[in-house]
Amino acid sequence: MRAKELMFKFWVILSGIIITVITFGLFLYILYKGIGVVTPEFIIGSPKGIPLGTQGGVFPAIMGSILSGLISGILGGVLGLCTAIYLNYYCKNEIIRKYILNALQCLAGIPSVVIGLFGYTFLVVGLGISKSLLSASITLTVMIIPFISIRMKKALEETSKEQYISSLSLGIPKGYTIVKLIIPSAFKYIMTSLGLGTVFAMGATAPIMYTGVVIVSGVPGKLTDPFMALPYHLYILVNEGLSVEMAYGTAFVLIVIVLFINIACHFTGKNEDV
Amino acid sequence: MKDLKENIFRTIITIGAVLSGILVLLVFFYILKESIPFFREVSYKEYLFSSSWRPLSTNPAYSFLPMISATLYVSFLAILIATPLSVGCGLFLSFNTSKKSSRIILSFIDMIAGIPSVIFGFLGLVLLVKFLERNLDMVSGESVLAGALLLSVMLFPYIVTGCTETFMKAKDIYYGASQSLGVSKWYTMRRIILPFARKSIFVNMILALGRAIGETMAVMMVTGNSPIFPKLLGRAETIPSLIALEMGTATYKSLHYSSLYAAGLILIILVLIIQVIAYMINKAGMRRIG
Repeated sequence: MRAKELMFKFWVILSGIIITVITFGLFLYILYKGIGVVTPEFIIGSPKGIPLGTQGGVFPAIMGSILSGLISGILGGVLGLCTAIYLNYYCKNEIIRKYILNALQCLAGIPSVVIGLFGYTFLVVGLGISKSLLSASITLTVMIIPFISIRMKKALEETSKEQYISSLSLGIPKGYTIVKLIIPSAFKYIMTSLGLGTVFAMGATAPIMYTGVVIVSGVPGKLTDPFMALPYHLYILVNEGLSVEMAYGTAFVLIVIVLFINIACHFTGKNEDV
Repeated sequence: MKDLKENIFRTIITIGAVLSGILVLLVFFYILKESIPFFREVSYKEYLFSSSWRPLSTNPAYSFLPMISATLYVSFLAILIATPLSVGCGLFLSFNTSKKSSRIILSFIDMIAGIPSVIFGFLGLVLLVKFLERNLDMVSGESVLAGALLLSVMLFPYIVTGCTETFMKAKDIYYGASQSLGVSKWYTMRRIILPFARKSIFVNMILALGRAIGETMAVMMVTGNSPIFPKLLGRAETIPSLIALEMGTATYKSLHYSSLYAAGLILIILVLIIQVIAYMINKAGMRRIG
């Protein structure tokens, strides 16, 4: 009896400590290893050295990641918000509503690599759009639509139902109510979903591997240019065994961007609901 | 004037919703359509029950069995490692730390879910694989074990967050009563909170499993990628890695190409089965409580 209790205590405390240590260790390790590599030159320079990437910087990759994240975030955000509003306020047919929701849930479960396969064969090979910022961003958009719309739908549901009904019964049109009342009161949550979706897109490697990202390029000037991205750059550095040091630097930049957006979303989102 | 604005707004919203609906359906139908030639050409005996994968040889053989078993092996092992730790951690955070510090720790654990998986793959390669090579006397540390250990870390946030939520709820319901009866904290945790949360722990496990099965980059970077039957300390290749690695080399519309779509379809079916199981358990649980 006593022994059981002791074992139980031991297990709970030990696993609590293990997970906490691993969690903080992960972040600190990357930050600690990367900070020495990251110099101003690393941030604003292009990959140099032979083979390329062993020296120089990652500026094109940073810009590529930000651009593809931005484009897919905007596309996915607009489509996701429309879907969420439609499902919550305009869809009158219960069956259609259910089907759309289930389909979104299913798509959310599809592994990103399968979406990459779809993007590659449908957009790049099938439709003949070249490997570019455009086709990669569309693929990422497909990936984050369910992610964003499910979260935005939840955000809209949390707004006051009474206000909505009162507004309608005062004779104020539906669209006006949604734009002036519902969206402002759910604005924080909507932005949080958008931010998290963008981070999700920026960190993904598998969907862009064959749809637009290349090992070395400049900053993309137009939508049909191929581009570099931080996660893929990191993958190449590690997988081809080019430079572990540069990999730490790249991982540092990537994690700082991701953490920054994550923390911003986390804390603005949390204040409301506690 | 007002009516016009309303109509424009409604039209824009509907167009947006229809567009995303079309995209979603397009993905499903495209995957289905492209995998049909494979299922028509190759019998289920070959792709489910034979043992070798050599799509490019003159005598091609298409068997997903090594990849399916590798995927399930890595994922189940990862769940087996992650669950006890995560449940323990959930109990620890609900009962043994102050509210404030547990909230901070939880938000950091949550943030693990936002770290791109390629960073995990990188860390796994430089830390975990090296560690295994040194300590287990392996020629190459890239193995099922490395994949499972790495994946288990990536699953922590999913299981810990879900479980802690239930533990907190159980604490609100029972802890006051059990305290006033003079029952110790640890006894309450073990005999009341844990049994109460059993179902929720199971559901969280299953949902995490669904995520584990689809994980690509991290697992691909540390498991070595050979399409052979998986052994704990040997190399293996999961279905997502197979698709990611061979996507670029398969000729458009060839059988090899179609087989990758078939692999994707099998992966989706696995994930869907898992999701449906979780959904059904959840629903059954709801009915009993409510």
